[in-house]
Formats: sequence, structure tokens, C-alpha cells
Amino acid sequence: MAKTILIVDDSESIREVVKFTLENEGYTVLVGVDGKDALKFLDGQTIDLVITDLHMPNMDGIELIKHIRTIEAYKRIPILFLTTESQVSRKMEAKDAGATGWIIKPFVPTKLLEALKKVIR
Amino acid sequence: MSIDKFKDKFKEEASDNINDLENALLELEKNTTNKDLIERVFRAMHSLKGGGAMFGFTALSEFTHNLETLYDKVRNGLKVIDRKILDITFEAADHMKSLLADELMTNNEIKTKHKQLAANIESLISDDTQTDVIPKSGSSSESSIKTYYIYFEPNPDIFANGTNPLYLIDELNSLGNCKVFAHFNKIPPIDEIDINKCYTYWEILLATSTDENSIADVFIFVEDQCKLEIDEVADNDITIHADFIHAITRLAIEKKDVGIVEIKNLIKKLKLNANVALAELNEPEKRIESSKVKETTISSIRVSSIKLDQMMNLVSELVTTQARLTLFAEKTNNTELNAIVENMQKLSRQIRDNAFDIVLIPIETMLIRFQRLVRDLSQELKKNVVFEAIGAETELDKTIIETLTDPILHILRNCLDHGIELPEVRKKLGKPEQGKIILKSFYSGTNVHIQIIDDGAGIDPEKIRKKAIQKGIISENDELSDTEIFDLVFMPGFSTAENVTDVSGRGVGMDVVKRNINELRGDVVVDSEINKGTTLTIRLPLTLSIIDGLLVRIDNDLYVIPLSVVNKIHVVDHDSISSKFNNLIVLDGVQYSFFVLRNELGYKSEPPKTERLILVSYETGLVGLVVDEVFGENQAVLKSLGKLYKNQALISGATILGDGTVALVLDTNKMIKKFSKNSEIIN
Amino acid sequence: MMKNDSLIKINSYLSFKLGDDEFAAHVGKVLNILELVKITPVPKSPEYMKGVINLRGAVLPIIDTRMKFGMSPTQFTQNTCIVVMEILMEKDTIQLGALVDSVLSVVEIEDDQIQPPPSLGSKYKSEFILGVAKVEEKFIMILDMDKVFSSDELILVMDSTEDL
Repeated sequence: MAKTILIVDDSESIREVVKFTLENEGYTVLVGVDGKDALKFLDGQTIDLVITDLHMPNMDGIELIKHIRTIEAYKRIPILFLTTESQVSRKMEAKDAGATGWIIKPFVPTKLLEALKKVIR
Repeated sequence: MSIDKFKDKFKEEASDNINDLENALLELEKNTTNKDLIERVFRAMHSLKGGGAMFGFTALSEFTHNLETLYDKVRNGLKVIDRKILDITFEAADHMKSLLADELMTNNEIKTKHKQLAANIESLISDDTQTDVIPKSGSSSESSIKTYYIYFEPNPDIFANGTNPLYLIDELNSLGNCKVFAHFNKIPPIDEIDINKCYTYWEILLATSTDENSIADVFIFVEDQCKLEIDEVADNDITIHADFIHAITRLAIEKKDVGIVEIKNLIKKLKLNANVALAELNEPEKRIESSKVKETTISSIRVSSIKLDQMMNLVSELVTTQARLTLFAEKTNNTELNAIVENMQKLSRQIRDNAFDIVLIPIETMLIRFQRLVRDLSQELKKNVVFEAIGAETELDKTIIETLTDPILHILRNCLDHGIELPEVRKKLGKPEQGKIILKSFYSGTNVHIQIIDDGAGIDPEKIRKKAIQKGIISENDELSDTEIFDLVFMPGFSTAENVTDVSGRGVGMDVVKRNINELRGDVVVDSEINKGTTLTIRLPLTLSIIDGLLVRIDNDLYVIPLSVVNKIHVVDHDSISSKFNNLIVLDGVQYSFFVLRNELGYKSEPPKTERLILVSYETGLVGLVVDEVFGENQAVLKSLGKLYKNQALISGATILGDGTVALVLDTNKMIKKFSKNSEIIN
Repeated sequence: MMKNDSLIKINSYLSFKLGDDEFAAHVGKVLNILELVKITPVPKSPEYMKGVINLRGAVLPIIDTRMKFGMSPTQFTQNTCIVVMEILMEKDTIQLGALVDSVLSVVEIEDDQIQPPPSLGSKYKSEFILGVAKVEEKFIMILDMDKVFSSDELILVMDSTEDL
């Protein structure tokens, strides 16, 4: 069965590129435009991985990660966040919130898939 | 859904990058060493490469990658900008523009150009003839396989971040040959287990051509949530050495974790590190070698064994003299003298170890002949046999190895001929069709044991007994233990094979084998179980060795008992000993048989009132040896008593004490065996 | 009779005493002369094998030459010496120390001074004796050291002791 990945990003181009790449690899993709928008998917359905940006309006990535970890069904699912090279402190913050790993922007599809390989099979 | 709109955006961006590249190149032509300009060129190419890969311009991406490599070398000072490099980069910039327009290279002209340029860039990268450039270390040998040791212990709460450590192990596995040892000793009792915690940790050996950084990248998400250690341990793939993996696996099971030190030791011991081994040998020559191209280096030399013997004698003398010097220096309380002596002691110890290393050679050197014999003979006999060597790194004196080869060959012939059954017979018996012969070598006390173990038919003691009776070697009424019966195999003219074959079973051989081994002051015993197999154990004294011994006194003479056999020392009254019937004594509630050495060795003087009883381990358990006095531990260079004393059975050698006198080293096993035989006759 | 050996061409012999008799061994066989040191006995070995000593880091077996010759054991005196010799034994060269009552001197004995050993009338077996030389009115028996020490036999001819 295809794995389900939730991607959350306020930038349309990023969402599109990630969605395109993942669907090409055979994943089922859910898309949220910000943290708050993403909450609607967290209804207990199977989600195998969350990929989220950190800077988003309404609810940012850190808050979203913290929230996901409070839900029993998603306590141990991997969460990757998108970040840039310079945001080292944000990286730690996200990890403390419960993130599994990160993907550095800008990225090429192969980088994205490499990061995925570390957290889901 | 289409990615085209991203593509258009990228093309715009890429054209800008190429323009920037051209500008930077023009500037660079005027000022070829300007670091900022080089950096600008590099950055432009980096963006082109990254974007190209992301948006499907594969050809462009790969092409720029090579250019980037070239400029990386420039940036790191491995190359300097010259005409050639500039020309080709300009050409490349033009070509990139074409690639943006025709990414799939449908135009043949572009395709040809692409190939030609790519080749030129490649050759520039690998062209190291450029002068005036000093290569920095670490630039070469990217692709050779190395073995890394990785210790990975995730924090217990690692699951809380959605991490599955197994995926990381799996990722390592995809990098090369990987041996993973998982450790479960931190798992608490079942009622204390928290399912949200990770208790397992891993030790991994990874042979890969990727570098340490790429390995560390595997753990990038968890590097702050685990204990991680990555060390290069060998310059080649050592995971393919079965012996090594076998040993490590055993260690991993026995110990909590193996640890890098142990692994490095093992690698050293098995000499798996090609370059390191070489480096140790020719460190000083290395430099010279590299300057003189194609001049063969001498990696070993032949030395006459007489010279080696002389060296060993001198070294032993040095060690003994050193011991005297140390003793003397300690008495003087002169700190300066003591410091010098201490240093000399260190040096002479190193010289000693080094000398031993030279004279001893591993059993491994005999193996090829054995393997060959097993292979050829098993084919001839239509048997399916595998030969395995365990502990082949065990070292013996060169002369012993030479003398031992023929006897072992003979034993192997016997194993193949009489021991291992034909495949169909084995099948009927429920054994695997393939028989196995193991050559196992190991140190035990002052001895080296070499065992030849087969899983064949075994020896039927009843058959041997009948044969021996028939041959008149023993009489019908003799009651012999199995061990004694097996011993008959070594009698001259004894053969049990029902059909005499070309290979063995003529009854010549085993007696010769025993004689050869006896000449080396060793002995040989057989143990066997019907249909299970036979184990033949050759025990040889170490001719050259340092032994840890217990220094004891009997009358006015000093003796050394190998510490490896000593179990416990008791103080005993002579009167209580002499009144014991049958040489049995009860100590701490256990009954032991014992021997009073001063009697057994023929001393006639008055014994002291209190004596010491030393419990030593013997084949059948602990046995007491009574001496006058125990002085303590001593490290002894074991020396042969020489040919004149070759019939001497109780002494395995002599050692020279700090004061220059000679103490004899007792062979407790042989001694006890002999004494018990004597007392049997008495009883 | 004489071996055509380069060793023999040097005509120096070390003479020593066992009891009242004088013997000589070719200097080519003699490595060293030592004063008596403590000998470590090796138990359960023949009585004439006195034990071992430390000779420059090697273990040197010591033979009581008197006992080998069938005389009473050596009584240790100030004059007792250990003569370190190199002996050919079953193709191997071994070193051993021979206990002698006293070492006398190094004497030059020309080949023509050496007479063949008397086959009769001597108390020593002739096969161990290379010859007899008369030096300063004394008879010195020149020994074949290889034979003396590689043989298990006693050198003395038991029967002839009665003649004494």
C-alpha cells in the first residue's frame, strides 16, 4: 500500500515541486498550506510522514510539530522540516519540538528522496 | 501536472548565471589568482549544477559538475588558472547556453561538442603535470575501499522524534559491505521495559569507498541524540575475512561490546591492514622509494638460522643482565641511575619482543600444503571434505614448523582415508554429506596445542583392543582405559584399516608421527567417539618464550612452576603430609592427590617443618605439589636444556634468574603423569 | 690414524688432570675455561650429568668428567675448573662444560711426538684416545673429545682396574 505523506508549506512552488517528486515515487500526498490548514488531516487517518516548512502564517512549523506529537496516533511518525542553511537555532528548536530531521532549501529531488530514505521505508 | 513552468523560471535564472560566469571569467583572465573571482565562477557553476538537477537538465548538471570539480581544485590550490583552463571554461559557457536551449541534445553537433568538451575537462582534472603546484594531502585515493568502525548508541528517547534507528543501519548497509552487531545487554527485565524507549545499541563494521563525512551524514538527523563514533580501522575491506568476522562475532557475543581497541588489536594480529603493515616495515625507506620510480623494494631478507640463534642468545642475556642491573639500581636509591635503568629496561623489552617476532612464524605458513592435500586426496577418494584452520596465527619456532609439516600431513592423510566417510555413508548416518577437518592451534601455558579434528567415523576402541591382542601388543587380561587404548595407535606396526589403501593404513606412520613429535619434546594424544569423529592433539613446548612463573625452592635449588597452571597455595605441616596414606589430602573440604617434589625428584636432605602445597591444574583436575618454600612470581625467558638432556621428561626448560643462576622450569603435566604411573606400580 | 683436519694442524693442546693422570684436548675443541660456579642440578638424570649453568645467557650442561671416566665423583676444590668444549654429537655441534680436577697448561705437541695408544696394558679404552705423547718425562693421553662425550659408555676399561 502506498505510504501517505503530508506536506505543509505556504509557498505554492515548493508544494508543487515536492508533491510532484513524491507522487512520481508512488507516494500518496496530502497538502496543507499552513499549520492550521494541515490540522484538518490529523484526524487519526494513517499518515506515514509529515514534511513541513517552518515559516508559515497562522500556525508555524514548530507549533505544528508540537501539536502532532500530542496526538497518540502520530507520536512516533517521522516529521521532516524544510529549512535553510543559516537557521541553525531554528533547527534545534524544531528537533526539541519533536522533529525527526530536516531538508535544506534549496534542494534537488534526489536530496529530498535521500532524506526520506532515512525515515521511512 | 507539469514541471515546465519551473523549467522556464530555471532557464531564466540559468542564463543569468552563465552571464555572470562569463563576466567573472573575463576578469579572471586579467587576474588569475584573485580568490574572489574564482569563488564567483565557482558559485555560478554551483547554482547551474543544482538547478539543472532539480529541473531535469541532467546533461547540464553533469557537465557543470565536472567543471565545478576543476574549479574546486583551483580553489583549494591544487591547480592554477592558466590559458588552457580559461579557454575550456569559455567554451563550456557557450556550450551551456546551447544545452539550455536543447537539453536533450537532439542536435548532433551539440552532442559531439558535449562529448569532446566533457573529455577535455576530465583530462584537465586528472592532469597532474601542471608544475609549481604542491598537492595538499588528502586529495588522492578517493575511490579505495576502507573499513570503518561505527559505534552507534541512540538516546533512549530517540523514538519520540519519530526516528527508526534501523533505517539508519539499513542506510549504512547500502553504502558497502556491512557487518552489524546489535547489543541487547541494556534491555531491562521485561516488567521494567518502557516501549517508548530504545535500549539497543550497535557496533558496525562498514567497508566502503565513501568517506567518513558521508558516513556521518547518515546520522545527520540524530547526531545530537546519540553516542556516535566513526573511525577508520583498515585501509581495505576486512569484512571479507571470515576469520576476522568470526573472531569479532565471538567477541560481540561474549562481551558487552567489542570496542575499537579490541578491533584494532585483532586487525593488527591478523595483519589485515595492508598499508599499515607495510608502513611498519619500511617506514624510513618509504620516502626514498617514492623518489626512485620502479626500483623494487626489499620487503624481507634471508638470515641464517645460526645468526638468529646468536641474536636470541644475546637478547636473552641482555634481558637477564638488565634484570640484574635493575635490581642493583634499586638498591642504590640513585634517582638518576634509576631513571636511566628504567629507560634501558623499556628498550631491552622492546628489543626482546622484536627479536621474538623475528624468530617465530605463524602456523599459517604450512596451511597451503595442507589445503592442497585435502583437496587432491578427497577428490581421489571421492569424498567431500572441507578443511578449516582456526588460530593459524599461532606462532612457533621456525624449526618446529618445519619438522611438524610431515607429521601433520600424515595425520591429515589418515583423517581423509579412515576418518571421513564416503558421502553416501555419511548421509545414511544422518550426517552432512560434506565432512570437515579442522586444524586448530592455540597457546596453553608453556605449550602450543595443535589439534586435527575430523567429524568422521571415529575410532572403535574395541577394534583396537582386539587388534592389539591379536598382534601380541597387549594381553587378553589387560584392562585399559579408552585413552590408553587410543594410545596403542602409535605403537610401531599397528594399523586398524580393514582395507589397506594406497594412502595410508600400512601401519607405518603413526609411530613415526609420534616419534617426530617426541623429538620436539612434544606429545600427541588421540580422542575419539564412534561416528562423531576423532581429535588428535599435538602438544609442543614453546622453545622460545617468556613465561610467567612461580619461583619455588626445594632443598637448595630453585624451580619455576608456570603460573598458568597454579591454582592455589596452601601451607602444610610436613608431619601431616608424611602421615598421609596414598598421597591424598583434604583441603577446604576437597580431597586432592599430591606429590612431595623433594621425594619425587630424589632429594635426600631433611625436609622443613612447614612446607607449601601448590594446587596445580592437571588433565583430571587439581593436584598438589609440595615444595619447601614459595618465593613469588617471576618472568622467565624459557631456554632449552639442550640435546644432552633430551631424555629429561620432568623439565620443560631452564631460565636464568636475576642473579645469574639457572632455575629449572617444571613441566607439571608430564611430571604428574609420570609420578602417578610410579605410584600405581607401588599400589 | 690422525685426522687430516685443519684443526689438527695447530699443535696446541690443553692439558688437565683427572686424579693423578694427565690428559689433553686439542685447543680447537676448547672454547673457554671457567671457574667453578653454582651448578643447578637436573633431577632424575644420570649421575655424571651434574646439571646446568648459565654461560652468557645460554644454558650449558655440565659433565663430571671423572665419573664419565669411571672415577669417583669430582671433589670440588680451588683447582676444579669447567672446560667449555664444543662437541660433535650425531651431526650436531653442542657445547658442554667438562669438570676437571685442574687445568695444567697449553702444550705444544708435534705430530711426531704422538704415539699410537697402547692397545694393551692401559686402563682406558683405546677408542677414546687419539694417542699418547711424552712431554717432559710425563705421559699425556690425548683424548678424542667427540667420542668421549657423545658416548654413553664409561671410558674406563673395568677389567684393567684390577691391574692397578
